Amino acid sequence: MRTSHKLATLVLGSAAILPLLGAGTAFAADGNVSANLKPVALNGVNGSGTASVKVTGTTIAVTMAANGLLAGSPHAAHIHFGADARHECPIASDDANKDGHLNTTDGGPAYGPIVVSLTKTGDTSPKSALAVERFDTAQGGKISYERGSITVTQTVADAISSGKAVVVIHGVDYNKDGKYSGSVKSELAPTLPTEATDPALCGVLSAMPSGGVATGAGGAASGTSNDGMIALGGGLMLIAAGSGVYSVRRARARS
Amino acid sequence: MTQHAGRHRHIIAVAVSVVLALVGAVVVYGATRTSEGPPQSPSGAERNQSPSVAAPPRGSDATSSPSGGLSAKSSDPGTVLKASPPVAIDIPSIGVRTNNFVNLGLASDGSLEVPTDFSSIGWYGAGPAPGQLGPAILAGHVDSHNGPAIFYRLGALRPGAKVIVSRKDRSKATFVVDRVQSFAKDRFPTALVYGSTTRAELRLITCGGSFDPKSGHYVNNTVAFAHLID
Repeated sequence: MRTSHKLATLVLGSAAILPLLGAGTAFAADGNVSANLKPVALNGVNGSGTASVKVTGTTIAVTMAANGLLAGSPHAAHIHFGADARHECPIASDDANKDGHLNTTDGGPAYGPIVVSLTKTGDTSPKSALAVERFDTAQGGKISYERGSITVTQTVADAISSGKAVVVIHGVDYNKDGKYSGSVKSELAPTLPTEATDPALCGVLSAMPSGGVATGAGGAASGTSNDGMIALGGGLMLIAAGSGVYSVRRARARS
Repeated sequence: MTQHAGRHRHIIAVAVSVVLALVGAVVVYGATRTSEGPPQSPSGAERNQSPSVAAPPRGSDATSSPSGGLSAKSSDPGTVLKASPPVAIDIPSIGVRTNNFVNLGLASDGSLEVPTDFSSIGWYGAGPAPGQLGPAILAGHVDSHNGPAIFYRLGALRPGAKVIVSRKDRSKATFVVDRVQSFAKDRFPTALVYGSTTRAELRLITCGGSFDPKSGHYVNNTVAFAHLID
């Protein structure tokens, strides 16, 4: 009964939605994905975080939190995707120039180019990749970021939903002097030290577990598997009553 | 037949009746007792418990986010531990204590895997470890094919209860329960349970609601939400 009701709802629901979609409209790959942000190889950041992205059509909503970052300095953060990238975080062997650190370009083969800039305000396109004044400055080394209604292309939306996009938070402090410094300049912006743009934390956005969790087998469920036992007990009691009545009758007949 | 023998037989018959009645009653009692099913979280009752009352921001940086219109915000995540897998759990208020841990991934249908052993607790290793920033996911069975399993009493867990997770690096992560909720599996709040959080949090997941003998599954999931305090 409940199943047929559900079925009816489903059929009615689909009937209501289908006309709106119109012919030829591809089903948007909506979804919930999340990334477990870990320290980028070779770059020595002692931190972690998580990022979640909800994809609805070509709109994404991003929630992100991280800790262990250089405090009080802007941390550029992006979603990366490249069709021919490996869709993963870079590993030590991606250090193309063998300088002992992974810069943002070293990570290219792993995560591809920037497709979304996770700025706090204004533009979110790759053009804002290094808009340092609009990124979180990690007070206390911590970032807590939430922004909805970011518009992306269908390709990017699909890449995110299908687990091929990567979140990267940039900004490291190799020399532990509490600021972005050093003589090595960023390959992305010659005015900035490489510390300001090298990747710190990274995680692949992959599907969250979907739906419910099958954590029960029913052996202690209410009122299902014990019906047999109840019947057995009831039967025994009936026999007992029957034989009891019989003996009482016999006793009466005798007296 | 003598009267003596008749009375004797009568006594035996009565005794047999009494024994049968007692055994029957015990069987029925046992069956109906276990058929109460696992304890359930009070549905809806705790829904209004404010979910994540983060420690109030300290000092003057409690000002609202810069230049209005933004949803970006900053808050203090409080205590956070380094990555280290869970090796044991202790939930004194519901008598759960085990060092029987397994790693969980995703099943072929995309859902969270579950432990094959009914006395084990599974950790979703692709997510944060208990104590790290974000939601650490632990799942355990409510029952096996013939009786209660490790998380049988999870639905009886109450806000304020402590959950202590021991980790491989020998540190202990102590969480306090914020709320326990029951969700229909077909309307499971994926982002709420698995999504990014601004604190180190914990999710304990098991089954709840009624058991559907046709599907062989419970219709609900019971989820306990907790956050790290120490």
